[in-house]
Amino acid sequence: MTDSFILGLSSGSACLVTCGMVMFPYLMAGSAGVKRIAIDLSLFLFTRFVIYFILATMAWYFGQAIFSNPLVRNFVPGILYIVFAVMLVWYSISNSRNPKCPAEIVKTVNDKRLVPIFLGVVNSLGFCPALFIILTKGATQGTLLQSYLAFLAFFVGSSLWFLPLPLAGQIQKKEVLKTVGILATGLAGIIFMIKGLTNLIGGIING
Amino acid sequence: MDNTLLSSSLNKSFGKSLLYTLPMFLITFMFMTGGRLNFSDPYSLLATLIAFLLVNILYFMMHYSGKTDRYRVVLFIIFAMSLSFTLIKNMIAIRSSMSFSQADVLECKIPFCHLVIPMMIIPAAFTKSIIFPGSILNGFANISSMVVLWLVATIVLGRGFCSWGCFYGGWDDGFSRIRKRPVIKHINEISRWMPFAVLFMVALTAALTLVPTYCDWICPFKTVTEFEQVTSLESASKAAIFISLFGGLVVVLPILTRKRTQCSFLCPLGAINSLSNKVTPFTVKVDREVCNECFKCVEVCPLYALSREDIRAGKVSIFCSKCGKCVDACTKNAIHYGIKGVPAGHLKNFSRNLFLFVSFLFLAIFSAGAIISSFQSLLKLVF
Amino acid sequence: MKKKVKIVAGITWAFVCLILIIILFPGLNSFSASTAKLPFMKINPNYTGGEVANQIVAESCTLDIRKPVFDGLFKERKNGFVQLDWRGNLPGKIVDSIDFDHDKKIDFCIFIDRKQLKTTIDQFNKNVKNIIISTPTSYGWSVRVGLRK
Ligand code: SF4
Ligand code: SF4
Repeated sequence: MTDSFILGLSSGSACLVTCGMVMFPYLMAGSAGVKRIAIDLSLFLFTRFVIYFILATMAWYFGQAIFSNPLVRNFVPGILYIVFAVMLVWYSISNSRNPKCPAEIVKTVNDKRLVPIFLGVVNSLGFCPALFIILTKGATQGTLLQSYLAFLAFFVGSSLWFLPLPLAGQIQKKEVLKTVGILATGLAGIIFMIKGLTNLIGGIING
Repeated sequence: MDNTLLSSSLNKSFGKSLLYTLPMFLITFMFMTGGRLNFSDPYSLLATLIAFLLVNILYFMMHYSGKTDRYRVVLFIIFAMSLSFTLIKNMIAIRSSMSFSQADVLECKIPFCHLVIPMMIIPAAFTKSIIFPGSILNGFANISSMVVLWLVATIVLGRGFCSWGCFYGGWDDGFSRIRKRPVIKHINEISRWMPFAVLFMVALTAALTLVPTYCDWICPFKTVTEFEQVTSLESASKAAIFISLFGGLVVVLPILTRKRTQCSFLCPLGAINSLSNKVTPFTVKVDREVCNECFKCVEVCPLYALSREDIRAGKVSIFCSKCGKCVDACTKNAIHYGIKGVPAGHLKNFSRNLFLFVSFLFLAIFSAGAIISSFQSLLKLVF
Repeated sequence: MKKKVKIVAGITWAFVCLILIIILFPGLNSFSASTAKLPFMKINPNYTGGEVANQIVAESCTLDIRKPVFDGLFKERKNGFVQLDWRGNLPGKIVDSIDFDHDKKIDFCIFIDRKQLKTTIDQFNKNVKNIIISTPTSYGWSVRVGLRK
């Protein structure tokens, strides 16, 4: 759970500054005071929570099917961790990183009341390497409950960054926060790379 | 105006330099000898005298030549090497090895170093305890005294601690000076913020696991101090990580870039020290009126603390460790030591004299024990 | 005027720092002693092994059974350990029955062969897991046994 939380927290910071700045105007647009902001934000977070809940269930069920073969179970998760972790590290160091957030699509939504829900869906499904890692983790857990817990930790870690979103306008040094967030995501990638290697070595020893 | 004249404006006459060295001479004498010389142990006496002379000659030369970094780095590197030498020597004497055992951890006998500080803050706040197997008050490198030393040095010097106090910095500072020209010249600008990302990750992981994760998994300086006995796959992976980081960030990359890459891209304490640059009264200032934008200072800065934009904006970044390399390189004397509140270009000599006294005094006294002890061992070895 | 105040404040602060550095080393022992008294200046039980809860005295040695440690950042963790310290003149083979939760029932039996560096346990309490550490120490021998809540 700790590693899922760390992954959520580190990728969440970069996500907030990349996507949060797109979401902010939409979440806050036309909002009349703190109550409205709180409702919009809760809706947004609730949607993310629901999506993660569904993803955790799906990942675990697919995992059960795919990883039932011991050979696959010993090698594939380790390899997947390494591949996604490398993608995460690449994302953090690459100059050609796409700075556009999938939440840009929100511009196509007309009904303002649906915006927080729409954003919640887009944000949680914005397939980034961090999500791939957590999907792998969910798929390889022993029980469904463990898969939920992994996703919950990821959800909590990444959501913490969205709580001060109403204050986003006042955050100075957004660039610094974004840079540090992106670099921290890369470091989380390294942690998962080591985890993947350990899994793989363990798999080789067991296999 | 003539460049040579300007460049030499920080130097002083022989007599004046001696006068400036006198307070350092007296204070270091008191600290190194305890007020009287011990004639009963000739090795100790000789080692103390050599260390004392070394320190004071370097300080004298800083005033006499007007150059700072050139002489600072000598003591800084000797400090780093002496500390490692003394520590390893003690460890081999006590444990016959550089590695510590599970028993040393259980008995809380691990020497504390300042790099643990970023990881102990959150747990200290929430659990009211320190997550390190060391001693609070007794013995070598105990937690209380190391915290006090670091705290005062950081308030007073800011990130200057990284060039005037840290007994690790001398390693990559030393290796960064081996080649005359860098092989790798450019880095991605955003990497400058890497220590903050490392700080974030290690503070977080340490808080969640109550283990000083940086020391446990990452710290490259375990290579030159002490490390966990290799008894399992996990301890072997840890050893592989810290040895590669030492080789890469402390030896190879500094040689190729002429920069202190470990301090620039990894050390989480460096990040905290950078923040403390906001508190310290001492700083490095850019006098825009005399700067001719030759950017020699940018080229030589070992910590990527200066960019062309910074110079154009007339400021140095928070990463500055006040090493003085840029000050030495500037032929116009445009970049100079300053005091906060005093406008750039004013009180250049006064600010430098005050800063040098404070920072060098810290370095000289902090390093004295380790330097004397290693000189003593060397003397015994030779004679 | 504001500029002058800034200059004076800057220089004053610089002199305060000068004094701080001058008194730092002579005062280090007393500053450290005061720092050591701060409420958070104690080593976390995950490292010390926790407080001694029970001491069993034998002829030539003693056994300290420490309080189980589950300390986490905000609350207790699910997994922890209990530390046992044998001190004094220890026999070559140690066999002890441990009741760490004081319910008058044996939780586990521990067997240590000091020469072979071999330690095993027989668990009678489902919350007792495995041996985490078993090592000779400067005062005798220490063992940490993993526990779950
Ligand atoms: S960056 Fe870290 S290792 Fe380098 S000098 Fe500063 S505290 Fe020491
Ligand atoms: S800006 Fe100058 S004083 Fe500061 S670290 Fe760079 S070279 Fe050293």
